[in-house]
Amino acid sequence: MAFNLFNRSASKVIRNAVVPSSTSVTRGLFTGAVRSAKEDKGLEQVYSKKESLLLDTNNVIGKSANTSVQNYIEVDSKVDLSTVTGVPEEHVKTRLVKISKATKNVMQSGTDNTHNWVMEFDNRERWENPLMGWTSTGDPLSNMKIEFVDKADAINFCEKNGWKWYLEAESKARPIRAKSYANNFSWNKRTRTSTK
Amino acid sequence: MAAREASKCATKVVRPLLSSDKSEAKKRVLNLYKTYYRQIPLILFDRHLPVSKEECQKKLKEEFLKNKHITDVRVIDMLVIKGQMLLQEIVTKWAQDCHVMTIFKDTVEPKPNDFLSKFVNNNDSQ
Repeated sequence: MAFNLFNRSASKVIRNAVVPSSTSVTRGLFTGAVRSAKEDKGLEQVYSKKESLLLDTNNVIGKSANTSVQNYIEVDSKVDLSTVTGVPEEHVKTRLVKISKATKNVMQSGTDNTHNWVMEFDNRERWENPLMGWTSTGDPLSNMKIEFVDKADAINFCEKNGWKWYLEAESKARPIRAKSYANNFSWNKRTRTSTK
Repeated sequence: MAAREASKCATKVVRPLLSSDKSEAKKRVLNLYKTYYRQIPLILFDRHLPVSKEECQKKLKEEFLKNKHITDVRVIDMLVIKGQMLLQEIVTKWAQDCHVMTIFKDTVEPKPNDFLSKFVNNNDSQ
């Protein structure tokens, strides 16, 4: 009984919502049933279906789903942003980027921070500054080091910015060899030597 | 290589900046060109620049043709936006005469290429 009441009230809401919107197009709160009615041009279908109010998320937040789909365009997947980034032409065409695995700190045995791919620019001229004896450089990209999770990301970034790049070969990790003093005296290894 | 893998798929679907297709982008570019072209006499009237109207028109054409290879609609749109911003800067005099003249690059010295001129121009003061 309660369900029927709800259905009746729902259809009343639909009627109320449809009548003004048929005269003027408004982007208000519409139910799914109303939208289907608009598309099918048959209100009788909606009334006969007796479906409950179905709110679409896009309608609730005031964004219509159709327009966002229409607004997409198709472009070449190879994007060259070098003309709009503002990087001087000299630093786009003459620079070479090295993409390599991040090096391990030689003073420590931990391998943290060595799993990323780093892109670095080629070295430019440096000189000793006569004021303090520090090193100077006129290269704006000299200290730019960018880390990427994947080497494909680094390569895509370089291609997008128009830089030439090369990939440094990844050094193979040596298999860990178990070191044990006791192995030298193992009964089944040739490492055991006679003491006599 | 990974780069070849990345460029395998020829096209992709993206959100546009302004134009929905190439013809619309072309209209925007031509519109900007015409606006600049019409503004040149006024700019020269306002400022004391050591260039003639013909030189400005030639430079304008050169700057536009520099990017003629670009086919990406979004990049074209962004260049148009930047062009509009520059025009606004010039017209409202946010950009002063010297800034306008940097477009002509007449004070930029070419970098030395051969060994001897590199040696003469080196930064090493020792």
